Amino acid sequence: MLSLAARSGALSPYLQATNVAVNGSLKALHPGAVKGNSLLKSSSQKTPAISACVSAPGGIRMAHTDIKVPDFSDYRRPELLDPKKSSQESSESRKTFSYLVTGATAVVGVYTAKTVATQFISSMSASADVLAMSKIEVKLGEIPEGKNMTFKWRGKPLFIRHRTEKEIATEEAVDMAMLRDPQHDKDRVANPKWIIVIGVCTHLGCVPIANAGDYGGYYCPCHGSHYDASGRIRKGPAPLNLEVPYYEFPDDDTVVVG
Amino acid sequence: MARRHPKKTSNSPEPRTRRHHQRKDNEAVAEKPKTASSKRWLKAVEKMAASVCRVGSTVGRALTKARSPILLSLRRGQATVTYAQSLLGAPETCLTTLDNGLRIASEETGHGTCTVGLWISCGSRYETEKNNGAGFFLEHMAFKGTKKHPQMALEHQVESMGAHLSAYTSREHTAYYMKTLAKDLPKAVALLSEVLQSNVLSEADIEQQRSVVLKELEEVEGSLQDVCLDLLHATAFQGTPLGHSVLGPSQNARTLSRQDLVDFISSHYKAPRMVLAAAGGVTHEELVGLAKQHFSGVSFEYEDDAVPVLSPCRFSGSEIRMRDDDMPLAHIAIAVEGASAASPDIVPLMVANSIIGSYDITFGGGKHLSSRLARLASEESLCHSFQAFHSSYSDTGLLGIYFVTDKHHIDDMMHWSQNAWMNLCTTVTESDIARAKNALKASLVGQLNGTTPICDDIGRHVLNYGRRIPLAEWDARINAVTPKMVRDICSKYIYDKCPAVSAVGPIEQLPDYNRMRSAMYWLRF
Repeated sequence: MLSLAARSGALSPYLQATNVAVNGSLKALHPGAVKGNSLLKSSSQKTPAISACVSAPGGIRMAHTDIKVPDFSDYRRPELLDPKKSSQESSESRKTFSYLVTGATAVVGVYTAKTVATQFISSMSASADVLAMSKIEVKLGEIPEGKNMTFKWRGKPLFIRHRTEKEIATEEAVDMAMLRDPQHDKDRVANPKWIIVIGVCTHLGCVPIANAGDYGGYYCPCHGSHYDASGRIRKGPAPLNLEVPYYEFPDDDTVVVG
Repeated sequence: MARRHPKKTSNSPEPRTRRHHQRKDNEAVAEKPKTASSKRWLKAVEKMAASVCRVGSTVGRALTKARSPILLSLRRGQATVTYAQSLLGAPETCLTTLDNGLRIASEETGHGTCTVGLWISCGSRYETEKNNGAGFFLEHMAFKGTKKHPQMALEHQVESMGAHLSAYTSREHTAYYMKTLAKDLPKAVALLSEVLQSNVLSEADIEQQRSVVLKELEEVEGSLQDVCLDLLHATAFQGTPLGHSVLGPSQNARTLSRQDLVDFISSHYKAPRMVLAAAGGVTHEELVGLAKQHFSGVSFEYEDDAVPVLSPCRFSGSEIRMRDDDMPLAHIAIAVEGASAASPDIVPLMVANSIIGSYDITFGGGKHLSSRLARLASEESLCHSFQAFHSSYSDTGLLGIYFVTDKHHIDDMMHWSQNAWMNLCTTVTESDIARAKNALKASLVGQLNGTTPICDDIGRHVLNYGRRIPLAEWDARINAVTPKMVRDICSKYIYDKCPAVSAVGPIEQLPDYNRMRSAMYWLRF
């Protein structure tokens, strides 16, 4: 690219010298241009179409034919260095190379952009300590049979009860038709020995008391909801069974809830 | 003075200098380029011809229906030769070659006048950096007197015949020709041979012409079309001889010596590269006789057997911006590498250029102009003028669009010009082609309106193709063009190619080169 700004602010007084020379006075700034100025003098009647000339060492450019396009060999591709060879032959390969590089860079760029964006957006999601709080790992060996243990999990009480054989049998034998929220015991436990429910009464949110009530399960003292050993509502105002969270047994002695 | 003149036969404003012999004055008088007026004239002729044809045909049909004998005889007064017949009936161009390789070509048209001249395949492309401008300088020296006729005597000879002696130099051709009465052909050929072979080239004249050349270099800066197109060549063919301007740099004008000019003549003015062409009331035999008499002595051997061979010129997609916010209008040219003169793609490219056509703000068609770009230019006031051009050289060419606009419409005009190119590559239809073919045929025929254009045509054709291509052949080749051909060939030259751009004037709004390069393809394809 060749850009010639014919009007350059700071230099304009000096450049004006060439136009002033039309009227006769010759500034010492352009020593090498005597001949050029004498010709400019003779054309004093006509204003040159290009209103300022660029001063080059050794003379003033008078004509557009004096503009020399610089030699860009340092920047040319090898197949275009020879001015005696047509550029058509290599044009296919040059374009293919350029477009391949551009395409590959674009694909890489898209993936980079996606990664950066996801990293920034996902920084707004839950942090590691919060995520860590979302799971609880409990050693089941510490809970004796028949006993219910309460843990604080996600801000709510978590009941883990080690059920006896008798309780399991009782719960499995319950008739669905009698239940307000019919659910078989099988559907509420992964391992029948352990019932894991969230200890929030489904009526208005109080915490039921373990090993209380008429059905051998839980009793909510606020409004008198009775739950059985499977956490199902039997009597009272609560509409639904106690919620069963997601849990896994990584081994026989541990459960991870959440 | 230099006069720039569009090379209409191939739809290109190829730059050439023009020298005319003058009566009293040593210096030639500047003439305005005839571009706009000749185009307007052509358009007017076209419109008149079209309306005459329509009137003629309706009258004819009405009269034949009436079957009245008197009225039928009236119809006989109108033209009875069809276009096809007139093409085939055109006189043949005879071509002879002398022993030294000089070719002689002439067309006998029956005019009372004739134009005879020498066309030489020599131009700025054959010059080096050191002697760029020698051909132009030589053109200045041409009419300064010969060994037999000093300047006054030469002028007297020419003026007493009432003849015009002219010359022009372009990138690949140089011509010296004379327009005279048909009966003065022998004297004309004699004078031409003297001017060419026994030019005095006196030191005094050379020194005097130096200042004239420098003055002319200054004055040509006012012709911005030439400046813009010269810069286009300089950037498109940078580093190659085709990038040289015909005028040469001012440094060479100051330092060229007599020896340089003599060397130039002896290395380029050789018989196998010359054509003696004539058109008008001349017979070929007479011309051959005269040529044998005067031109047998033209040498055909080169010193050291160094035959100058033209090497291919590399095209570089690039741009050159000469910004001057004080100019009222911006002159911008964008071009891609085109076809050589002898390439078979020339005719489809000429048809393609006719689809884009040309426009001037003085055109009265408004939104009814046939070229889409011209319609847009007129309705949105996009430009003052534009023309699609194709300058073709012996092995390459420049296919482009040149437009003149004010500083607020450059971006839009460039966008729509490149849009027109994309349409050429993708959506040319049968009706576009039909219209373009007719326009092209009309312009080809219309340009040959006199002995001088015909003689010029002969000279250039013989140098480019080795023979004169008759109008009938152009017609046949134009008829063979189909829309698919135009789309394919335009895609080959235009689609996704790097353009060369040159811009002069208040060009702040001209888009960045990368954006112009991106407009050379459409992502929808």
